[in-house]
Amino acid sequence: MLELYGQIEEAVAAIRGQWNETPHAGIILGTGLGGLVEEIDVEAAIDYEAIPNFPRSTAISHRGRLVCGRLRGLPVMAMEGRFHMYEGYSLKQITLPVRVMRAMGAKLLVVSNACGGMNPYYREGDIMVIDDHINLLGDNPLIGINDDRLGPRFPDMCEPYDRRLVDRGLAVARANDIVAHKGVFVAVAGPNLETRAEYRFLRLIGADVVGMSTVPEVIVAVHCGLKVVGFSIVTDMCLPDALHPADVQKIIGIANEAEPKLRTLVGGVLDSDEVRSL
Amino acid sequence: MKCEVSNASTTSLMNPVLAPLASNVQQTVGVIRAVWPTRPRAAVILGTGLGNVANEIEVEAEFGYFDLPHFRRSTALAHRGRLLCGRLGGLPVVTMDGRCHHYEGCTYHELTFPVRVMHALGAEVLIASNASGGLNPKFAAGDIVVQDDHLDLMFRRGGLSAGCSMPRPASPMQSPYDRELAELALSVARRENFAAHRGVYVAVTGPNYETRAEYRMFRRLGGDVVGMSTVPEVETAVACGMRVLALSTVTNVARPDAPETVDAEDVVDVASHAEPNLRKIVLAVMRHERLAQQESR
Repeated sequence: MLELYGQIEEAVAAIRGQWNETPHAGIILGTGLGGLVEEIDVEAAIDYEAIPNFPRSTAISHRGRLVCGRLRGLPVMAMEGRFHMYEGYSLKQITLPVRVMRAMGAKLLVVSNACGGMNPYYREGDIMVIDDHINLLGDNPLIGINDDRLGPRFPDMCEPYDRRLVDRGLAVARANDIVAHKGVFVAVAGPNLETRAEYRFLRLIGADVVGMSTVPEVIVAVHCGLKVVGFSIVTDMCLPDALHPADVQKIIGIANEAEPKLRTLVGGVLDSDEVRSL
Repeated sequence: MKCEVSNASTTSLMNPVLAPLASNVQQTVGVIRAVWPTRPRAAVILGTGLGNVANEIEVEAEFGYFDLPHFRRSTALAHRGRLLCGRLGGLPVVTMDGRCHHYEGCTYHELTFPVRVMHALGAEVLIASNASGGLNPKFAAGDIVVQDDHLDLMFRRGGLSAGCSMPRPASPMQSPYDRELAELALSVARRENFAAHRGVYVAVTGPNYETRAEYRMFRRLGGDVVGMSTVPEVETAVACGMRVLALSTVTNVARPDAPETVDAEDVVDVASHAEPNLRKIVLAVMRHERLAQQESR
């Protein structure tokens, strides 16, 4: 991990060349959820290709640019398009943008993703505020010799998602009549979707939804001292006893339909005292 | 779990990893034997906070890991990096004071290489120790877990256990841990009046500590403690036909319904406090092995 420090500095310098502000929050927009960018008063939009050491997003429905500007008056950096382990990137590459956000001065990381719902009480289009996660990626972005300038060797994980912000997210959802749950996200590498037996297994070990992202970024956010709030959009229900073949276009359609809810939740959380006082 | 153990004479011809491995082991063994020609009966791996057991050893030769070919230096907290050769309770032993971990970026082969070397030197018994987080709510900080079995959740890729340059063991891995040594450890704990349990060790890569959801998962899967080491070394020792005793010091008990932060310094601290108990077990095993050695003569 000793190579990261210099890489972060290079990326920060490139971004500062176009946008010399201190972001309050970094935002990562998942599959089909890029629409939130429309709410940002954009001051700079930088393609990932133009930022040293940033990977390029190859995933479907991910644009691949860093949008800097103001959301509800707060300076933010939003990643329109994220990276996944299944694209072949190392977890250190995937999570570099989080370290860059931190180095730019961000206090909070907002993550979002599209996920498969396994809790039978959930419905397509529902939002789950992430209360906790299980890492089944089989890898960890912190493996290697630790750079103590970036964070501790053994980060504690008893509260990776800030509890006050989880509660705030749920309160915003209720106030806007949005169905939102609090639950456990399990991350797998993919890229294949799960078998019925795997869904049963993931449910058995305590997960409510499953996805192929987010956990690497959150581990690194905890490592470097960012508060985290996370939102999962349930884009298809994965009930092993009544499983249908997944249709990626339909999943993206549901994500797009649910996207306005995400805008409301992210906006509401950013407006809250909990976030303003960070 | 089935453990495929291959005979070196056939495997080394087919497996591109094993052929250099066998000669690398011999190279390191040669460096050690040139200074310390004794044949050790036991190998000991000292984990987090247990390094002071090293003070009990009458050291006859000492090697920094830097000075041994193919050894990786440990960067972990409270881990030194030296191989101590000498006598412990009168028994010839080779001891690793400090070990490497997956989370440091070490490969499976780098982690397990020292075990192969200690076995090639002649060690028949491996005592491995570690510090772990308790999952079983009946455990308390400072208790010792005599590992009865393990769950390997390290997901290592590209580095499967590659057999050993020694004949296959008499019995396959029904339990990787030796019953007799485990019973001995538990009887020492009863006699000396400290808490020791049998338990299942879950091995993960780390380096972050676990989330509440992960603690619940490990408990549901059957784990009693969770840690970031030991299993690769144990698997290799079993493949080499060694008898294995693994002792885990519970440094904190995870209570996912009332979580507390884990501090790495506290972990080291609790492990150090429990060390005298661990030392009693290690010395009892030394006595046991010395008697066994005398009988076999």
